[in-house]
Amino acid sequence: MQSLSHIGIIALNTFRESIRDKILYNIVFLAIGLAVFSILLGEWSVFDRAHVIKSTTLTIMSLSGLLISVFVGISLVQKEIQRKTVLTLLSKPISRVSFIVGKYLGLLGVVACHLILLTVVYYIILFVTESSPSLSLLSAIYMVFCEMAIVVAVALLFSSFSTPVLSALFTLGVYFAGHLSNQLLEQVQFVKRMGEVEGFGSVLMEKMAIIIHAVFPGLYRYNISSNVVHQIALPDWYLFWQSLYALGYIGLFLAIASWWFNRRDFL
Amino acid sequence: MIQIEGLNKTYHTGFLMRPKKALTDIHLQVPQGIIYGFIGPNGAGKSTTIKVLTGLLNFDSGKVQVAGFSPRVVKSRTRLGYCPEQPYFYDYLTGRELMFFYGRLAGLQGKELEKRTEWALNLVHANKDWIDRRLRTYSKGMMQRVGLAQSILSKPELLILDEPMSGLDPMGRRDVREAILSLNKEGVTVFYSSHLLSDVESISDRVAMIVDGRIVREGSIDEITSSCSVQYHIRTGETPSNLSLPSGVKPSSQSGEWTCENAAARDLFIQYCLNAGISIERIDHQRPSLEDILTEEIARAES
Repeated sequence: MQSLSHIGIIALNTFRESIRDKILYNIVFLAIGLAVFSILLGEWSVFDRAHVIKSTTLTIMSLSGLLISVFVGISLVQKEIQRKTVLTLLSKPISRVSFIVGKYLGLLGVVACHLILLTVVYYIILFVTESSPSLSLLSAIYMVFCEMAIVVAVALLFSSFSTPVLSALFTLGVYFAGHLSNQLLEQVQFVKRMGEVEGFGSVLMEKMAIIIHAVFPGLYRYNISSNVVHQIALPDWYLFWQSLYALGYIGLFLAIASWWFNRRDFL
Repeated sequence: MIQIEGLNKTYHTGFLMRPKKALTDIHLQVPQGIIYGFIGPNGAGKSTTIKVLTGLLNFDSGKVQVAGFSPRVVKSRTRLGYCPEQPYFYDYLTGRELMFFYGRLAGLQGKELEKRTEWALNLVHANKDWIDRRLRTYSKGMMQRVGLAQSILSKPELLILDEPMSGLDPMGRRDVREAILSLNKEGVTVFYSSHLLSDVESISDRVAMIVDGRIVREGSIDEITSSCSVQYHIRTGETPSNLSLPSGVKPSSQSGEWTCENAAARDLFIQYCLNAGISIERIDHQRPSLEDILTEEIARAES
């Protein structure tokens, strides 16, 4: 119980600290601006206006969430270490695991608030442009939240042992690898089937694609905007299984971050 | 309250992770209810030892117990208060909000939290109008007071302070000294490091001296100073030739004054003066201060 209370206190403090960050507001206003800009994109596009607005705004949600995780999240742990606030905090009867989990939940709270704000803007745009707003869009937004929950855990993991710049690069790397790993595997298997690459090179390429696909979190799973926008049915229990998948990766990343943080010396 | 046996700590620095020994075979015992001063030059290992005690640093080998627990265990910090050297806090909070934040982490809530906050701020003379200002506007002295207040908020049994008086004006130093003495009267064990040896001599029950990562002296102030030989200062009426001085006798900075390292040197010098027909005007003896002993130990370590 005491640990839960500590996590809550640290999460709340992290949330308060993050919402004072000017970078956060820049990202939020940029995202809102781009969401409004999607109305123009809808007008200019040869495709259906409603579809363009819906899919563009969902992409903006995902990318702005990524920027918040990278530019706000990564500096959170490093700031504590560089400003030495961690010395007083960790001398209190709290475990380092509580510290990491509290930081994670605080930042996730910021991302959640950002997504809620964008959702409101999203629905206002859909109502104003009469682009058939439906509640099914919320499932796509929920998937963006799950995706961001994984990305925040990745950012926190790297920031527990690396510099902010390297952590940002690593996190962006995981994000893009996670989105492209499925396509990479399909392409490699296609090339192999077509016999364009043969022998050892083909085997090596396929093995590497399989490893990348297996190791990096499959973030492509959380991009269901085309299903929702074009009203293509998802498999049964899709959201539930993807939530579970996200929880598994989050647990793993936070466990590694906590383990590493436990080994650290604070000078 | 604190037990350290055979503590060793090595830092690995630089790209090649070159090892640098920070602590070598440290042995310390801090009994309950005393004020224990920990002194040494910069880089001697004071802060490293304190960070090992508070669980902020891991150590290579040895046995460390804080309030009966290893510092790696969270329980060791339930009865511990700690204020780092130059405390840093969340500068977007006010002093009072910071106290509430740390109080909640220590398990305090509601009225009890408010009561303890008032008590802690009063003890360090920080319960003033500036306590409701953001921490980014605080001076070093204000920060030091808030740092000390947060460390005593949970009424710890053991208080560990790293240079609590550094950067404070004479009034601030006096307030911190009084706060330490007052807490000690209430039964709190205080373990603190300091450069200000006069303060250490005035309030510590026991002292440990660390030089180059090793404990070189340990005991009460009396034990430490009496373990060193007493120096004798002799003033003569005439100035004898330096070339023929007995061994252990050195001229002082003032003309006609001489320092004898020990009683034997004093006797030889007196005999020398009598033989040479030099009058002796005054003989004093002086016990070395902590500062003298520390300087001597540093010189010994460097040589």
